[in-house]
Amino acid sequence: MILEVNGLTKHFGGVRAVDNLNLVINQGEIVGMIGPNGAGKTTTFNLITGILKPDSGTVKFKGENITNLKPFQIARRGIVRTFQIVKYFPNVTVFDHIYIGAIAKNGLRADRKTLEPMVNETLQFLHLKDKKNVLVKSLTIPFKKRVELATSLVLKPKLLLLDELMAGLNPAEIDEYLELLRKINRELGITMIVVEHVMKAVMRLCQRIIVLHFGRKIAEGPPEEVSRNPEVVRVYLGEGAKYA
Amino acid sequence: MLKITHFLKSKKTWFYILISLLLIALPFMVSEYITYVVVLTLFYAMIVSSYDLLLGYAGQLSFCQGAFYGIGAYASALFSIKAGFPVYLSIPLSVVITALVAAGVGYPALRLRGAYFAVTTFFLAHFVYLIFLNEVWLTNGPLGLRGIKPLEALGGIDFSSTTNYYYLVLVCFAASIYILYRTANSNLGKMFISVREDEDLAESFGINTSLYKLVAFVISALVAGIAGGLFAHFFRLLHPSTFTWLTSEMVVIMTLVGGIGTIFGPLIGASVVMFILEFLRFAPELRFVIWAVALIIILIYEPRGLVGLVERIRRVKR
Ligand SMILES: Nc1ncnc2c1ncn2[C@@H]1O[C@H](COP(=O)(O)OP(=O)(O)OP(=O)(O)O)[C@@H](O)[C@H]1O
Ligand SMILES: [Mg+2]
Repeated sequence: MILEVNGLTKHFGGVRAVDNLNLVINQGEIVGMIGPNGAGKTTTFNLITGILKPDSGTVKFKGENITNLKPFQIARRGIVRTFQIVKYFPNVTVFDHIYIGAIAKNGLRADRKTLEPMVNETLQFLHLKDKKNVLVKSLTIPFKKRVELATSLVLKPKLLLLDELMAGLNPAEIDEYLELLRKINRELGITMIVVEHVMKAVMRLCQRIIVLHFGRKIAEGPPEEVSRNPEVVRVYLGEGAKYA
Repeated sequence: MLKITHFLKSKKTWFYILISLLLIALPFMVSEYITYVVVLTLFYAMIVSSYDLLLGYAGQLSFCQGAFYGIGAYASALFSIKAGFPVYLSIPLSVVITALVAAGVGYPALRLRGAYFAVTTFFLAHFVYLIFLNEVWLTNGPLGLRGIKPLEALGGIDFSSTTNYYYLVLVCFAASIYILYRTANSNLGKMFISVREDEDLAESFGINTSLYKLVAFVISALVAGIAGGLFAHFFRLLHPSTFTWLTSEMVVIMTLVGGIGTIFGPLIGASVVMFILEFLRFAPELRFVIWAVALIIILIYEPRGLVGLVERIRRVKR
């Protein structure tokens, strides 16, 4: 068990964004988290990473209670996330963007000789080599997301939280990403929670799926089982055929 | 060897050599008055380029560089007058005091983001000015602090001469610019940039943004404190009016005029502004009007400041 969430609750005014949520994530897993718009997926990520403080409940990472730590302290312990609305440092080059991550991981004293190979390796891994000297702000959104992911990877996280990484990609690009995420999981040994609306992708990628609705967990299990769950079917049909 | 030839071939290198030679030869080429103005300009250049580390790199807008300049100046003067310390001790002590004030104010204030931090520093600047003005027992208030000792002669060099003091200030200036430049381009500088670019993202990458903001703030204060200490024993008369909020405002303007995030740009900004102000001495009321207009024009046509302008001219030439 790498992550354990107990009774996590967050209200925004009258909205129960996350409601008494319990989660267990095991080392090495790729877990999918799905649910209609406003189900509380992003809020869950914000609570785990310390960007939001919960009204009640705890988050334990590798046995340590991290509920009241600051975002940067949580990141240093090995939980790194990407943002649903892509975040990036606009006025730096792709190389420097990842380099900043390498400094964050290895400390101010680390010299260029140690950091540069790490950055180059990451650039290679995500096929960003030819974009190395381009300013991040001039990239397209999919490439910005790739830079955000690359910087997350250079931090060598133990747990990676991906918030709609594949939104807006075409089927071929989604296939590429699925392969990439499996590789990150297998070769780098990184545990992942993946939030996606692209149902087919989640079904193919994840061993286990958690379904949220109005901040509550309404189903959990292997993809086939969850997709046959009557409550899940009802929730998604209620939403129309939007995600079919 | 290859490096050295490359170094000598670079246009930039020759530009810096030329500027250095000019600065070294300056007292022999111009009147004492101009040398005197250049010394004052060098103080501002130090304050402004260290401010660039805070604004241009760490992205934090503050309005209290003038206060740190003043604290450095008053503290050093008081250490030498009231405690009788040699200037060689009073300046370093005043720098420590300036850094401590910056840390004490910055620690809580930098938890406030953006405008709140800027407003806090604005009040700090005014508060410090009011202390200079009203704590007569300490600062001699509006009468000004007189009888400040010059820097003691060292190895037969008399620092009460403008020319000799000029060289001392030049060395301090060159050293601080070098250190600031190295810092800006170091890992620490990259951490500052990450804070400027996106604080939340930096934090989620494990970067302690509050710490780095504080470090940038303290470094900028520290260099301003050095300039203040050097100023006190050069001018040898301190008056609160030198350190009003306008001084801090002027630092911001010089930095913006020069172009932020370059360390060198603000140097140009400081020089241009100081000389314009000197030449407009005959019309003190007009100075700030001309100023405001010049600033607005620059920000509209070249928001990157004079550095951006130079780059644009270069591109057109090509
Ligand atoms: N900062 C906030 N302030 C107020 N309400 C919020 C805030 N963040 C989220 N909410 C509300 O909390 C609920 C859960 O939102 P959340 O963003 O977690 O959903 P989500 O599952 O990520 O949805 P989506 O699929 O659209 O990204 C929504 O009703 C949303 O409007
Ligand atoms: Mg979301």
